Amino acid sequence: MKFIKTHVSLIFPLVAILLGLEFFIVFDRTTDTYQKSLQNGYSMMVVAKDEMSIDDFQVWDRHIEQVIEVQKNKILERLEMNENPENKKSFEASLPNFYSLKLDGYLTLDELNKVKVNLEKSDNILKIESFQSTYQSKYELFAFIKFSFHTFIVFMSIIGFFLIVKQMEVWNFLHAQRMKVMEIFGASLFLRSKVLMTMAFVDAVIAALTTSIVFYAIQNFWIKNSQMEIVKEKINSVFMMTDILILLFASIILVMIAVYIVIINVKEE
Amino acid sequence: MSDVITANNLTLSYDKEEQIIKNATFSIKKGDFVFITGASGSGKSTLLKSFYGSLPVNQGSLIVGGLDMVDIKKDKLQELRTHLGIVFQDYRLINEWTVERNVVLPLWIAGYSDEVQSTQAERLLHHVKLSGKEKKYPLELSGGEQQRVGVARALAKNPFLILADEPTGNLDDYSSNVIWDLMENACHQLDTTVVVVTHRIPAVFNIRYRHFTIDENGSVYEIH
Ligand SMILES: Nc1ncnc2c1ncn2[C@@H]1O[C@H](COP(=O)(O)OP(=O)(O)OP(=O)(O)O)[C@@H](O)[C@H]1O
Ligand SMILES: [Mg+2]
Repeated sequence: MKFIKTHVSLIFPLVAILLGLEFFIVFDRTTDTYQKSLQNGYSMMVVAKDEMSIDDFQVWDRHIEQVIEVQKNKILERLEMNENPENKKSFEASLPNFYSLKLDGYLTLDELNKVKVNLEKSDNILKIESFQSTYQSKYELFAFIKFSFHTFIVFMSIIGFFLIVKQMEVWNFLHAQRMKVMEIFGASLFLRSKVLMTMAFVDAVIAALTTSIVFYAIQNFWIKNSQMEIVKEKINSVFMMTDILILLFASIILVMIAVYIVIINVKEE
Repeated sequence: MSDVITANNLTLSYDKEEQIIKNATFSIKKGDFVFITGASGSGKSTLLKSFYGSLPVNQGSLIVGGLDMVDIKKDKLQELRTHLGIVFQDYRLINEWTVERNVVLPLWIAGYSDEVQSTQAERLLHHVKLSGKEKKYPLELSGGEQQRVGVARALAKNPFLILADEPTGNLDDYSSNVIWDLMENACHQLDTTVVVVTHRIPAVFNIRYRHFTIDENGSVYEIH
């Protein structure tokens, strides 16, 4: 019973921190496509007098990543001006050039406006059209969710960390006597802390595996039966086998820091 | 004969205001048997602590086993301690370990095999008249029994220097004599240096010994 109690009181906060970490990773990974789709859904239409290459655009603003030229005959087709080939030719020549621009990242509204202002500096560019309103609301909602989520995780981790510190005090109480005696008989730091290290290591592994199982369950039972399309289409990246390694690594580093703090605080008298 | 402990104007204190040991100068040679007496609170345990590096030297110099204790490095101190046999006034056994494991702690630290450890445990416990208690835990023993485990532990690795703080403090005459015999033998047969703090020097002692005393001012004198 005592054994279970001392272990659970370390494993519990560890799992809390690891869950936070894994949620962090999974959230960013699964919403990555969504973020991209927001980014791609946003495009700028530019009307220019003369033809412009991507380099010409990038001179004005470095956020421009891709330039798609809108074919003039497609525009003419839309305008149904294809009866007379002669007419069409001359009309086509007089038409300016249309471009659809893709940007290199997930820009804020201010940054988007800056891009617009930059492009307007060019004499060659006649008109810039963008579709901001839906972009803006979606972006802000997404940013808000992401921020709340991250804040929640940070707080959970802080609480977890305090619980670990509390548990370290218990360890200190339980192990100090033995470690002091060993030190006076000349035991190395390694020998003195072996029991604690082994215990902490086992707990770290248990915590990492518990977290992995939780995520495996979330992936295979909860999300599979849910309606969350954004996440569902990336179901295989909710929990990856490499995450077990990340969790193990994080968990072991955390407890080893805790053990180290306990050990250096044991002073012989 | 080489010095095992040399103190020159050694001064020890726990805090700035009060000096417990003042200007002690003495030397203890290999194979010496030294009794240290003095009133309660005079600083006997304090002096022993400085010998095993648990209390830093405040002033003066102290050399133990050829090592300068004033600015001794951690690894050197660790090495020195594996060659000492320390008996504590308050026993300091590891309560979650069996008697057997406690006794061979110095051998475990030195990395001896399990077989060596268990044969030595049997031998040592036999010497301190505790055969049959191998699997018990310290808190299941009487105070005197715990004290004898502490003595056995100190002798486990044939140390070159035994530092014993009241090793018979809780023992009757019979058990006390068992301990004194063990210490005499270590000194006589293995040429071990022995420093023992005690309230009561045994009436019958078979080997030549020296007697230091600490007075109420913290001065250390040699009586003979
Ligand atoms: N850890 C400590 N911190 C501060 N002062 C201490 C500490 N240990 C001992 N002292 C003080 O040092 C003085 C000497 O203590 P010490 O334990 O050396 O006495 P002692 O001669 O061994 O006495 P006893 O015969 O009762 O064991 C005492 O006045 C005590 O109050
Ligand atoms: Mg004392």
